[in-house]
Amino acid sequence: MTRLALEEVTFWYPATRAPALREVSLEVAAGEIVALVGKVGAGASTLLLVAADLAPRVTGGRLAGAVRRRARSGIVLPTPWTQLSGMAFTVWDEVAFGPANLGWPGHEIARYVDHALERLEIASLAARDPVTLSGGELQRVIVAGLLAMDPDVVLLDEPTAELDPAGARSVWRLLRLLAGEGKAIVVATSELDAVPDVADRVVWLEDGAVRAIGTPQLLAEDAAGDGGVGTTVAGIWRAAGLAPPYPLTVADAVRRWP
Amino acid sequence: MRALHPFTLLAVATALPALAWILPAPGGGLATAGIAFGLLGSPGLRRGLWPALVAAAPFWVFLLLLHDVRTTVAIGLRISTMVASFVWLAAVLAPDRLVEATVARGWSITAAYLFAATLSAVPMLKARARRIVEAQRCRGLSPRGSVANRLRALRALALPLVLSALHEVDERTLALESRGLVSGARRTSLAPPPDRVAERVVRWGLLLLCLAALVWRLA
Repeated sequence: MTRLALEEVTFWYPATRAPALREVSLEVAAGEIVALVGKVGAGASTLLLVAADLAPRVTGGRLAGAVRRRARSGIVLPTPWTQLSGMAFTVWDEVAFGPANLGWPGHEIARYVDHALERLEIASLAARDPVTLSGGELQRVIVAGLLAMDPDVVLLDEPTAELDPAGARSVWRLLRLLAGEGKAIVVATSELDAVPDVADRVVWLEDGAVRAIGTPQLLAEDAAGDGGVGTTVAGIWRAAGLAPPYPLTVADAVRRWP
Repeated sequence: MRALHPFTLLAVATALPALAWILPAPGGGLATAGIAFGLLGSPGLRRGLWPALVAAAPFWVFLLLLHDVRTTVAIGLRISTMVASFVWLAAVLAPDRLVEATVARGWSITAAYLFAATLSAVPMLKARARRIVEAQRCRGLSPRGSVANRLRALRALALPLVLSALHEVDERTLALESRGLVSGARRTSLAPPPDRVAERVVRWGLLLLCLAALVWRLA
């Protein structure tokens, strides 16, 4: 079942002539993880803002095309410290900020908040003041705040940017679990090596337009390597002059090693 | 004092400046300024005493330049009461408790947030200013020394502080929208602060006191 559909979407930020998105079409189904990849400025963050109904409603600007949302969405922006509510002195209250704004009953809020804290492995931080947390801890708190609102469409912009490798792996595992529960997930990431194990589909954006859509195998193609969106292993394989198709991951490479 | 209901704290911080302006000078202003600075000087809050005095001092200087001593004292005490009351309020009023209290009363969450965010912005801006100063020091800028040096350092601090704050406003708006802080939202109060009968009596008493003082002055 399609949860989110963009049809020929073009978007201009206020006071700009060049569109940040150009005729982007994309459908995301329940239980699917779609990874947005591309160079900085390719339009991935803007696509997420459009999908979250924040652009142009909050950002201003102009949108052409159609966006169909069949479910409630939630978004995590790239910088965690700007997403603090400023009204909570404990992590628990910070995570509860969103559900409370939705007007849920207290016991429901408590259930979702506790569950989200456990899922992000930050239950031990519940009583801490959010402003005393490290960047990685804060990133998890913000993701927990999103999950506590129980959105059907989860939109994430560089969700592992502040995390150490173990924390990043934990977030990627969580995304697979959420997809298994039927949530539609769109994640913009520059951590290309994680994409093959996480994403069902990859959308490669370039200058605001979709350059290619396909399986994660896309990241092992010559064009992706030339465009700077190939995985590290594929790049090494290619640089070594070994024959295509290039492996996507270390495990792939080990299997194919001649 | 921090355990008092946020509305009680607001009532005190509003009543003191109101009385300072209503009651005859200089006695009224002296009494209210005394109470306001007395509150600010109570244990645990003394850190706010010095900033309040520093903030009030320029008003006294300008008043003295513009008026005679009698007027300066009259207006200066009133302004000092306002400054001390606000600093005291910022020190004792937890923004999250205020939001909980207003939400429990069915007030608009956006209005409550506007007030609470203003109070919570102060420590955030202080922390950011500290980080910017440290970063500028690493690049060789010294905020000490001559007046010219200090002015140069101030410019190097103010510009990134203002620009980063403006940038943050954009992102924070998006984040708050996505977290359900929208106009007309009916927020659930997570932990409404207890509102004791005695505090309600005090609030009504302060209101009646202000009204009585006003009637007395106008009569």
